[in-house]
Amino acid sequence: MRSKIEKIYMGIIFVFMYAPILTLIILSFNTSKSRARWGGFTFQWYINLVNDNSVLNAMANTLIIAMVSTVFATVIGTLTCVGLMGLRRRSRTVIMGITNIPMINADIVTGISLMLLFKVLRFETGFITVLLAHITFNIPYVMLSVMPRMKTINPNTYEAALDLGAEPFYAFRKSVLPDLMPSIIAGALMAFTMSIDDFIITYFTKGSGFDTISTKIYNEVKRGIQPEIYALSSIIFIAVLVLLFASARMRQRQAAQRKDVALYKVEKRISKGKAAVIAVASLGVILLAMYFGGVFTRKNNQLFVYNAGEYIDPEVIEMFEAETGIEVVYDEFETLEIMYAKMVQNDGAYDVICPSDYMIEKMMNAGMLRELDLNMIPNRKYIGKQYMESARSFDPNNSYSVPYCWGTVGILYNKNMVKEPVTSWDILWDEKYSGEILMQDSIRDAFMVALARNGYSINTKDPAELEVAAEDLVKQKPLVQAYVIDQARDKMIGGEAALAVIYSGEVIYTQRENPDLAYSIPDEGSNVWIDAWVVTRKARNPEAAMKWINFLCRPDIALMNFDFITYSTPNEAAREMIEEEDIRNSEVAFPDESILDRCETYFYLGEDGDALYNEMWKKVKSGK
Amino acid sequence: MKKELIRLENVSKSFDGELILDDLSLTIHENEFVTLLGPSGCGKTTTLRIIGGFETPDNGRVIFDGQDITSLAPNKRQLNTVFQKYALFTHMDVAENIAFGLKIKNKPQDYIEDKIHYALKLVNLNGYEHRMPGSLSGGQQQRVAIARAIVNEPKVLLLDEPLGALDLKLRQDMQYELIRLKEELGITFIYVTHDQEEALTMSDHIVVMNQGYIQQEGSPEDIYNEPENAFVADFIGDSNIIKATMVRDELVSILDTDFVCVDKGFGENTPVDVVIRPEDVELVPRGEGTLSGTVSHVIFKGVHYEMEVQAGGFAWLVHSTRLYETGSEVDIKVDPFNIQVMNKPESEDEEVLAKDD
Repeated sequence: MRSKIEKIYMGIIFVFMYAPILTLIILSFNTSKSRARWGGFTFQWYINLVNDNSVLNAMANTLIIAMVSTVFATVIGTLTCVGLMGLRRRSRTVIMGITNIPMINADIVTGISLMLLFKVLRFETGFITVLLAHITFNIPYVMLSVMPRMKTINPNTYEAALDLGAEPFYAFRKSVLPDLMPSIIAGALMAFTMSIDDFIITYFTKGSGFDTISTKIYNEVKRGIQPEIYALSSIIFIAVLVLLFASARMRQRQAAQRKDVALYKVEKRISKGKAAVIAVASLGVILLAMYFGGVFTRKNNQLFVYNAGEYIDPEVIEMFEAETGIEVVYDEFETLEIMYAKMVQNDGAYDVICPSDYMIEKMMNAGMLRELDLNMIPNRKYIGKQYMESARSFDPNNSYSVPYCWGTVGILYNKNMVKEPVTSWDILWDEKYSGEILMQDSIRDAFMVALARNGYSINTKDPAELEVAAEDLVKQKPLVQAYVIDQARDKMIGGEAALAVIYSGEVIYTQRENPDLAYSIPDEGSNVWIDAWVVTRKARNPEAAMKWINFLCRPDIALMNFDFITYSTPNEAAREMIEEEDIRNSEVAFPDESILDRCETYFYLGEDGDALYNEMWKKVKSGK
Repeated sequence: MKKELIRLENVSKSFDGELILDDLSLTIHENEFVTLLGPSGCGKTTTLRIIGGFETPDNGRVIFDGQDITSLAPNKRQLNTVFQKYALFTHMDVAENIAFGLKIKNKPQDYIEDKIHYALKLVNLNGYEHRMPGSLSGGQQQRVAIARAIVNEPKVLLLDEPLGALDLKLRQDMQYELIRLKEELGITFIYVTHDQEEALTMSDHIVVMNQGYIQQEGSPEDIYNEPENAFVADFIGDSNIIKATMVRDELVSILDTDFVCVDKGFGENTPVDVVIRPEDVELVPRGEGTLSGTVSHVIFKGVHYEMEVQAGGFAWLVHSTRLYETGSEVDIKVDPFNIQVMNKPESEDEEVLAKDD
């Protein structure tokens, strides 16, 4: 009886521990992009992964960093242990204590202090700084594995080798090293795993244009995770699992070694050959990775691009590189605010960026942008007039930005659950739909809904109007199922909610997954947003930046991006080329001008305005 | 006189400010079995390690065969060491262990194989070539360590308590083997031990050490029969060490009773220590001996009885094949030749050492 309970208990623990990972692995084979629906089995995401250069690059970076840092950390850590043995016990304990600190220390503290150190030393952040950081935090793990073994080694063994005529290094290699080897390998595996696993320290010490798998995944998460990432995470999980098993086996063998020495000897013969194969293979991987990672090839003709995640067809980047010979260093930001903070910190880091309307205004006001050389961007003529006109709300002379994508904010609803026509924001306050409503977890969008409902400008800075809006939002809260970002689309696909505030760009995709969904822009009006390309004032390669913008305005390229992103394109010529008629004439992607007239873009509110909105938002969130 | 091989000249060594060897001088001759004997911490192992080259003395010189080797690295010295904990290479088999030194010297393969065969035969381990050290007993491992050292044909073999980790029976067997080995090889052995019995059994020459000083040097017989001070007397075998007064030549007053002895030249009424070995104390019926006493304790030891006799206010240790029951009234009698008279410690150092054992 008791053992049965114990087994059940163990079972529950395992379910809690591994159910999430199992879910992830299953989703990586799901044909549907939705998390809520099983669309059949596929290897598509794995295939996409292999074809995605940015992911392969990040993978290569991760492996190079892991291998090189492991090698350095293992050598340094082992030598340190050898040196420590020469010290008295008390000094040894003190030094071991000190070297263990990076391991106990919060990663974020280690990460930030390393970043500050590199800043002070004027290191340019990138491959080298990440590598140094990884070596630093890996050394303690190696020492932790080697030191206990070191203590059990009979110092006379080394002396015996000297006594028999060996030179000191030879004596160390022949007498001490073989005994240490299992623990050194275990330490190296540990370091390797830690390096692959690390996010925080990497995040703080990496520069622009350099990503490892973990930072890459983080970027993706903010913009909505793609199934390729499930596939990648599954691969990483399996790889780490294998490493851990190898490490554990190494220790087991170490224990068994004492019992069955003869067997070990046979194994040793084999493992010598094996070791050689592994060494050659690792070297090969490192070289290949370096080739693909382009670690040592920093060309002058580079363009640093900073864009939101999943916001370009990767093939477009390759085509641009092929046509112009300019090498693109492509980075993704999670939110506009993070992008802005990074630009304030280092305004020369990127040449060309794709922010939204109000952020462009803010950057313009801050003098961070450069006037475009329109002679170099003849393809701008394909952008529809009405969009250029809308863009004047934040870029009065159309001289700093060229629209890239645009869209509206509206209500996505499930026709089976909402039988009445959706024409007003009021429906989000209808108690009939209590617990079936999803709101956007974003200050401007949430307030936009409440402000528009009351007939106020969505850019108001009037505290009285905002007070009304905030009260409305508080009143609405009991009806709201959740404030979400990209879960909205999955929940709607899965039929978990009836109504959701959503960006028009998500609509085509969600309708494809669940035909019962419909989209409406309420009569009171809404937000129309425009994302546009701008060139930074301190751009190191402004010419290439102009070429980049011009390239993206080319109709065939704009079409490729539209197919990939599915957000509305302002490129009229590209729209004409859309083959499916229902999409070309889609009310959602290309709404009537009459509807657009009701919509406003967001303006930059100024620091006071931002502060006011933030304060109100806090009230809403805390429900007061 | 035998040829001098190793000479330590005024060697001093301290660790962390603690003086381990103080101005030690020692000469070792060719083809001798020399034992450095003393309690732990006496400096015997440090002395051996200085000869082996694993420690460098703070002061003084080490002369080997007329050459100053004080700062020569251990791998350049013509001597080999057998360590207390075997120190075999655990990942190599017996043959590889033995061949280690020969391979470094680039000896031809045939020569190495002959040597392995010869050495294993010498230590009675024929057929063990391909065993791993972990699968051997302690005694067998120690033989491999010895074989590994001697194939290099050193002029001197240093042995650092090589039998310390073995059990009693094995230790006694190995003692005879070591003596035989030394005879066959005809080289110098420098042997470190804290076991006085081992030292007496095997050595040609014993150096008794304590707290960094040489207390006494000599043949096993000299050391045993004529200890020069209380430390040596106490350390070598069991002894009755008693405060006494030298009344005049050939007469000593022990516990206020006069005993005839053979020692001369201590002056008159001089305070001295006397040493009487327990086997030299004769117990005779009351009235037949010099000093009267009572048997207070008896232990059967196999070869003899060990008895404690209270006489003259001192507990005498007596070894005898003849039993006197506890409580027996007896007399004590000592042959004049068996009374060893020693000066009281003169120097402060000696005083410290004597108290310290």
